[in-house]
Amino acid sequence: MFNTDDTIVAIATPPGRGGIGVVRLSGPNAQSIAGALLGNRAQLKPRTATLATLEEIASDNDTERIDQVLVTSFPGPASYTGDDVVELSAHGSPVVLEAIVKAAMRSGARLAEPGEFTLRGFLNGRIDLVQAEAVADLVDSVTPLQARLAYDQLEGTLSTEIRAIDTTLFDLIAGLEASLDFPEEGYHFIDRRKTVTAIVDISARISGLLAGGRRGRVIREGRQVAIIGSPNTGKSSIFNGLVGAGRAIVTDVAGTTRDLVTETIDVCGVPVRLVDTAGIRDTDNAVEVEGVLRARSVMAVADLSLLVFDQSRPFDNSDLQLLEETSSYRRLIVANKGDLPLAWSSDPFTAVSSRIVKATATTEAGLEALREALTAELVAEEPRRDSPAITNTRHLDLLERARGELDRAAQAVSTEISEEFVLADLQRARAILEEITGQRTTEDLLQHIFSRFCIGK
Amino acid sequence: MSHYDLVIIGAGHAGCEAARAAARMGRRVGLCTLSRETVATMPCNPAIGGTAKGHLVREIDALGGLMGEAIDATGIQFKLLNRSRGPAVWSPRAQADKQRYSRWILASLEREPRIEWIFGVAAEIVVRDNAVRGLRMADGRLLNCQALVVTAGTFLNGLIHIGREQRPAGRYGEPPSTALAESLKRLEFRWGRLKTGTPPRLHRDTIEWDRLEVARGDDQPTPFSFMTDRIRNPQINCHLVHTNEKVHALVRTHLDDSPLFNGQIKGIGPRYCPSLEDKVVRFPGRERHQVFLEPEGIDVEQIYVNGMSMCLPREVQRAIIRNLPGLEAATLLRPGYAVEYDFIQPTELRPTLETKRLKNLYLAGQVNGTSGYEEAAGQGLIAGINAARTIAGDEPLVLRRDEAYLAVMIDDLTTQGCLEPYRLFTSRAEHRLLLRIDNADLRLTSHGWNIGLVTKERWERFVDRRRRFEQNLKTLRKTTVTLPDGCRVRASEAIRRPQLRLKSLIDSGEIELKSEEKTKILDLATVETELKYEGYLKRQMAAVEREQQQAECKIPQGFIYAQIPGLSAEVVERLTQTLPTTLGQARRIPGMTPAAIAILGSLLLRGSKRTLGKDKQNRDIMHAGHERKGHDPKARAPRRSIRASAQR
Repeated sequence: MFNTDDTIVAIATPPGRGGIGVVRLSGPNAQSIAGALLGNRAQLKPRTATLATLEEIASDNDTERIDQVLVTSFPGPASYTGDDVVELSAHGSPVVLEAIVKAAMRSGARLAEPGEFTLRGFLNGRIDLVQAEAVADLVDSVTPLQARLAYDQLEGTLSTEIRAIDTTLFDLIAGLEASLDFPEEGYHFIDRRKTVTAIVDISARISGLLAGGRRGRVIREGRQVAIIGSPNTGKSSIFNGLVGAGRAIVTDVAGTTRDLVTETIDVCGVPVRLVDTAGIRDTDNAVEVEGVLRARSVMAVADLSLLVFDQSRPFDNSDLQLLEETSSYRRLIVANKGDLPLAWSSDPFTAVSSRIVKATATTEAGLEALREALTAELVAEEPRRDSPAITNTRHLDLLERARGELDRAAQAVSTEISEEFVLADLQRARAILEEITGQRTTEDLLQHIFSRFCIGK
Repeated sequence: MSHYDLVIIGAGHAGCEAARAAARMGRRVGLCTLSRETVATMPCNPAIGGTAKGHLVREIDALGGLMGEAIDATGIQFKLLNRSRGPAVWSPRAQADKQRYSRWILASLEREPRIEWIFGVAAEIVVRDNAVRGLRMADGRLLNCQALVVTAGTFLNGLIHIGREQRPAGRYGEPPSTALAESLKRLEFRWGRLKTGTPPRLHRDTIEWDRLEVARGDDQPTPFSFMTDRIRNPQINCHLVHTNEKVHALVRTHLDDSPLFNGQIKGIGPRYCPSLEDKVVRFPGRERHQVFLEPEGIDVEQIYVNGMSMCLPREVQRAIIRNLPGLEAATLLRPGYAVEYDFIQPTELRPTLETKRLKNLYLAGQVNGTSGYEEAAGQGLIAGINAARTIAGDEPLVLRRDEAYLAVMIDDLTTQGCLEPYRLFTSRAEHRLLLRIDNADLRLTSHGWNIGLVTKERWERFVDRRRRFEQNLKTLRKTTVTLPDGCRVRASEAIRRPQLRLKSLIDSGEIELKSEEKTKILDLATVETELKYEGYLKRQMAAVEREQQQAECKIPQGFIYAQIPGLSAEVVERLTQTLPTTLGQARRIPGMTPAAIAILGSLLLRGSKRTLGKDKQNRDIMHAGHERKGHDPKARAPRRSIRASAQR
């Protein structure tokens, strides 16, 4: 895995059949191996797609055409991995792509480990850790918004912002350190009031990133929505209606859970995992009891519960019980079957603060109303492109810890404690921030001090 | 032919500490120097201590070294820097009477029966079987020894510059060591060239003192040594003047004559001690710079012009000086000058200060690229201790970065090397709060005792003091006190209040602690700090423990970095040059990337290196795009040639 002196090959597009598929080669022999596959006939110009025929030598010295391909060569070091890279776009059949990979392996390439292209980019200094993580997110993204956020991170928006914060912090630290190490220079490097202002400002910038982070995590990890209700209130119609809009992305039917059906849909860029549950009611039937138990446990972990009531049927005790039972959960109440005559004598939801949708799940308008309500509940704020949204839990955790240290430092300054203690907190904050992006040494600190202040006798 | 356990070349601040330590530890020492007159001389500023440097002196003293007692006996103005701040950054500094300081050290070395003086020029290191066997003097004498400590200072190919005038010299008026430099170069160490400088000296009686601002020392001088109860010398004043636009203009006019700016000097000077030329050129916005006038002794006429290190021509220096108010008639006793000298990259050294290339050869002081009397003395002490221990077959003394500034310095030097003359700063210590002047003895005196360097008198004093400290901590944790606002809390809790000082609790009779009258400030500072800043200290201790794990991950000797896949050529080169002994040390090497440390760490933790990548040719096809998800092996297609048939 940490070998970087050989040439690696792999299919770069997802498994399965697609319009086109890409095979990627990276390493010192990438170009010569690609040349061999193309019968050394095609002239490869850097960064230009060239149409070529891919052939393979069959056993009896005969050549067999594999496919017509578009070949692009990216000479190192200005390539994705930092090595020479060649990408072959072929028709997207797994059989064709695997044949290309095996032909490349016979010409001396080694099959890449998962993530090895990105690792090489990281080891060769082409991307930093944040960007490397972004690549993984980008290829894992299932909604366009997810892909956009991951792409922003890959572009370095997040790294740039964290580095900017780190630079401000570093500047502050340098001023405070200079005060300690050069106490007799006859001038103040930074005063107490400015120190507090600077710390509070840095902490606020991190808070800004964290706020974007909560948003980002929703987009990255998605949300789970449980559809709950008494039997025959129209839960499954709602489920099928929402899924059947043609936007289901992954079909992921749980095999072991006999009565929990899930599908993931795209609600304004947020992947939402819908879980259809068994109708909740008092029963002695063992199978049904199990189903009800499961419905309750799904409800407990879901980000949102869709409580479905049938308004063509009187609001009974079990409905009331469900309403009470879920009062502490985040929920969206659906008064379903609006096309039938209303059977409720009074509004059962007068004391309820949750959002209520009157809908008919069998009509397009009803589904649209539902989707809108779901959007309002789950996608409160549309992420802006100009502020990076953090999607990675590791980054969120580190930023939160860094902010904790900064807040401690700000508090310390206000107790008029001496700089070295404030610095102890600030240095820890800096160390944490640098776990995200990179490293800085004491030498850099001194360099900074000497370039800014005229110091020394 | 003479036989010694140890021969030490040079009797400056490094050599004297090395000689005394080894002699006290029972070794027979030959101390080789040019003349008795220049033992422990101070060729530059007449002061010991300062931020971080003062800490070093306390540590040298706590281990049983010389410097602290010497400056206490001969200091003429004491100042505790950063007194308004917390105890971790209190740093003592003192002006010394240079001559008395030298004589005090000389006298104490002459009292050591195991030190023998060798006067003359050291010429050649005698090597057999990759180990040092002796030293040949320029006059042909051969000194046999089991270990050699080289403390050559700025003497290796020293070259002094004053304006366009150049002359080979180790220090002003002393010849350089060229033969020794040649002998060391034959051993193929990596070399560098540095530059340092010193300001002019003025005649005391030609200065109009009344017109200058007075700079006083502390009313109650704080001693450096744990053995000193009280400073007895009379204290003097220093004086302060400021440069002005006329001075700056003179510097600018004559820059072409300054070896620093006309290309004559190749060596790299210290950024933290800029020459006057540097100050004027690099900070054109500053209207004035501070200049301290410091007497070099009580009854001496030399006045040191602190802040005006320069190497302009003599007459320009004179003109500059005479443009300062009060110095219009000052006589220049000696011009300022710059000196260039060779140093050995300290990455050539082990943490014991023994060279990696040659057994039993130790280097200490400026020859390792450091600047400062204190840095030199600290290294001399450690080199002397380790040479003495190693030849007796004992484990060397290697301190940790969280234990002493001595260790911070030596670790910085041996892992990072020098790009400019190295000076210690408190900001170099990541565990600064633990490394205080008040607890230097608690950190180090036991080490000094265990290796036989600490005297019985010092040890008994220390044991008493440690007992007092522990009892006082206990008392404070047990006793309830009444605060001015009427609250009744444990004393240890009360002290955590930002505004409350331990002294006020004692003065108001709320609590009674044990303290030795003579060391009261120190006794109280240690307990107060331990309690007041307990949270900070605990967090710093926790960090120490985390780093300890990396530090304990040993890299076997002879580890071949070039064979580790995934390390860049640059990283391999740095590792191969430095040969770190632990993963923690490797992490601190400049240019090491987090990725490189991760790779190294995973290899070391796995114990043995596996060959990677060879056995994977036959595995199922992986989809590199999908880094997180495994690929279903059952989806593998049978290998066959096919014709293009897919549709786009």
